[in-house]
Amino acid sequence: MELFSNLALGFATAASPENLLFCLIGVLLGTLIGVLPGIGATATIAMLLPITFQLEPVSSLIMLAGIYYGAQYGGSTTAILINMPGESSSAVTAIDGYQMARKGRAGAALSIAALGSFFAGTVSTFLVALFAIPLTAIALKFGAAEYFSLMIVGLVSSVALAHGSVVKALAMVALGLLLGLVGTDIYTGTPRFTLGIREYADGLNFVAVAVGVFGIAEILRNLEGEKTRSVLVHKVSGLWPTREDFRRMAAPVLRGTAIGSALGILPGGGAILAAFASYTVEKRVSDKPEEFGHGAIAGVAGPESANNAGAQTSFIPLLTLGIPANPVMALMVGAMIIQGIVPGPNVASEQPALFWGIIASMWIGNLMLVVLNLPLIGLWVKLLTIPYYVLFPIIMAFCSIGVYSVNSNVYDLYAVAFFGFAGYLLVKLRCEPAPLLLGFVLGPLLEENLRRAMILSRGDPTTFITRPISATLLLIALAVLVVVFLPSVRAKREEVFQEED
Amino acid sequence: MKSLAFDSTNAICGAVFVILGGFFTYQSLTLDLGTALRMGPGYFPLLLALILVVLGLVVLVQSTRVAGEPLGPIALRGMAFILPAPVFFGLTVRGLGFVPALFFTALIAAFASSRMKPTMALMLAAAITLFSVVVFSYALGLPFQRFGPWVRF
Amino acid sequence: MRRLHLTRRHALAAGLSLAAALALGSPAHADGFPDRQITMVVPFAAGGSTDVVARIVAQKMSDDLGQQVIVQNVAGAGGNLGADNVARAEPDGYTILMGTVATHALNPLILKSTPYDAEKDFAPISLLVVVPNVLIVNPELPVKTVAELVALLKAEPGKYSYASSGNGTPLHLSGELFKSMAGVEMEHIPYKGSGPALNDVIGNQVPIMFDNLPSSSGHIKTGTLRGLAVTTKERAPSFPEMPTVGESVPGYETYTWNALFAPAGTPPEVVARLNVAAGKALADPAVAERMTEFSATVVGSTPEELAAHVKAEIAKWTPVVRDAKIQLD
Repeated sequence: MELFSNLALGFATAASPENLLFCLIGVLLGTLIGVLPGIGATATIAMLLPITFQLEPVSSLIMLAGIYYGAQYGGSTTAILINMPGESSSAVTAIDGYQMARKGRAGAALSIAALGSFFAGTVSTFLVALFAIPLTAIALKFGAAEYFSLMIVGLVSSVALAHGSVVKALAMVALGLLLGLVGTDIYTGTPRFTLGIREYADGLNFVAVAVGVFGIAEILRNLEGEKTRSVLVHKVSGLWPTREDFRRMAAPVLRGTAIGSALGILPGGGAILAAFASYTVEKRVSDKPEEFGHGAIAGVAGPESANNAGAQTSFIPLLTLGIPANPVMALMVGAMIIQGIVPGPNVASEQPALFWGIIASMWIGNLMLVVLNLPLIGLWVKLLTIPYYVLFPIIMAFCSIGVYSVNSNVYDLYAVAFFGFAGYLLVKLRCEPAPLLLGFVLGPLLEENLRRAMILSRGDPTTFITRPISATLLLIALAVLVVVFLPSVRAKREEVFQEED
Repeated sequence: MKSLAFDSTNAICGAVFVILGGFFTYQSLTLDLGTALRMGPGYFPLLLALILVVLGLVVLVQSTRVAGEPLGPIALRGMAFILPAPVFFGLTVRGLGFVPALFFTALIAAFASSRMKPTMALMLAAAITLFSVVVFSYALGLPFQRFGPWVRF
Repeated sequence: MRRLHLTRRHALAAGLSLAAALALGSPAHADGFPDRQITMVVPFAAGGSTDVVARIVAQKMSDDLGQQVIVQNVAGAGGNLGADNVARAEPDGYTILMGTVATHALNPLILKSTPYDAEKDFAPISLLVVVPNVLIVNPELPVKTVAELVALLKAEPGKYSYASSGNGTPLHLSGELFKSMAGVEMEHIPYKGSGPALNDVIGNQVPIMFDNLPSSSGHIKTGTLRGLAVTTKERAPSFPEMPTVGESVPGYETYTWNALFAPAGTPPEVVARLNVAAGKALADPAVAERMTEFSATVVGSTPEELAAHVKAEIAKWTPVVRDAKIQLD
């Protein structure tokens, strides 16, 4: 069978001592930069690009891919330990993961994240191997109308992210969408909401906003009651998940893997939605939805698996079409070009060792990550017992470096301070940052695709319901809306009836 | 029957949403709105801003129905030292260079906690700077000047 | 002068350890330039074609200068942020710009206000490469030549759209120039960069696009996209079969170029030293080979030639921008 010979070629390529070494270097470096708050894979890969000039093409791409998923992995660690997500996907992990850490269960949260990611990585690697080409054909059917409808599904789902007031969650989504629109309008070139600051012409930096509203707000919150406490967590119970934990993570991991694999294929926003979508699904199917937001295991296991599966399958458009789904993938394209490989549909047929070698290395890299990280969990958890007056200056220093390293834009640092303040204000007002961040990520995509769809249909709004995929997605959004609102309506009515009694 | 109660947190929250919505509405109106069929840069944000105002009003109205918890303590000292830290880094990283800018950034942030002693703060800032220079500047090779024009002789 | 001969192992070490910084200090030059690392500002995001050119050239320039030339991406405002940063940097040759047709010809014409003057605020160093653009269509569009495309667009005016990498980019202007010179109507659909636009053309969401030849050459070779013509005056060496747009629309010519600039006031001997380093980098056979695979043509120039080139480009694009009425804030 062709698949097996291809995979055999891939593993033979990826398992050469040299390539194993570069894979290891990649995942190590990725984990390191992922764990340091603020600094991301984009900056690191950019720095390493010229070095890859000297390497074999396969080795360099294996190393860069390793940095990418290693960073995703390390990013979850920071999200769980100090509520500091470095990527949009780990923002979801922070919601329940950080709560678990506060309850002394950081070790369990980290191992669940690691094991869930590994499982998802394994499955989605094989999906990439099996279906890369047919899946690409499906992804190409997504035009502006379909993306718009997909974003609507994402936004509707985001309401489920909130565990407080639905109205406030909606307001946070709206605010996030507006913040996402800051910058130059791509259709007319008009700057919007930039207050005349040219440095914001390309919009607010995601890392700056995320670090501000999640991380810095949390630091400030911890400084409130410092008369009584000096460390984040006093008691750290059991480093490893219990048998009960394993039982409760199995189904969420499976569902998260499926969601992540499916959405990861869509370039431009698919992988971002995966973690959010998984969280929503878990909260819906859970028999204890009230646990979400207070350290639910499913709220870590599902999104983490989805996030990792999405990270793997987002290589599909890159490998089959040469089209980057995100900035990191754009750098991989750059790396290929430096190596004299012109990315495009011919890579699989002209460079089979490269194509299948990268796919095989993803699985090997994931295995390395689990083996490396499980023993490290004890060390990470120890971090929580560092007095926070020592921890916070360290975090602030790394955040400053990390945010500045993204674009060398000092205004991004001012944005960190501003969103730190705003995030703290929102915490004090009992608003949750996760819907805001989702809105922030989706805002520009939503508007861009809405307007593009309208121009392409020459102003005919029925384009959203006459295109079958778009119509299906809108129906799903409607269904989610009904499912989300029904229980709260029912609860309200019960409340009313009780009051009448 | 509930007595007349007032949730001050939600009242402030609603007001904040209304003010922010108002700001974005005002800004959107200065942009070209276009039509629903051919939207201008102001169309979509105006829609969102108005939704935000409406949601803010809903929160405001709801706040008069139920009593809520008070705001609780506010980390004034934390804000006074944590928030300026990245701003200071931004203002000085080009002029002073990476090493001094980072040292002072860490030093400023260190004073956010009332438990921090000055000598401890200096040592901590020096340790952070040393670690960061080794990791970020040398090992990862981030393109920062270690010492900027303000301190070069 | 000691040269940095990078072996594979050393190259890796350079990135991962202290080797990069400890590498070399070259005392060889009379004026002592350079005695520390040089920052090459790329005014676009990492991974794009300008970034790739910069990183390949910077690597080789480091070898010649004996000091690291590091690439720093200062993306934003269509390249203006990075260009402005360099315009205002110390004129000592330690901060240089990877300029493009966007930063030094188009932006000053398109934008109501540009923070810098493309001619007065920079000391030209060297033109590096010229990159052709290409007119591509989805294979389902029933046209095989530029003439057939023009006929189709004239038969059904306003029905078809074309994609570009963004408003006011060289590719957008290539499209607008085509519309005005061929006398056809197409709706412009801007994207955030070439990648997503290409994706929609392959998926036939939008049938027509102007792209950089490097980013779509793989698709043209495999037939997922149909390349109708390149936009340069001469045919591209990597696609000798493909005609030029000018063969059907006489006088049509656009292309993207990359060149190095220092801030105005940089001492001429420093500029000359950088020019030599850039020239040596371009002459390196490995670099030339990469650039050719990448469909870019290595050009190189003296500082004076680059100054004349910038002047000529501005003169060429002024009427185009005026006629297409492209004006951004």
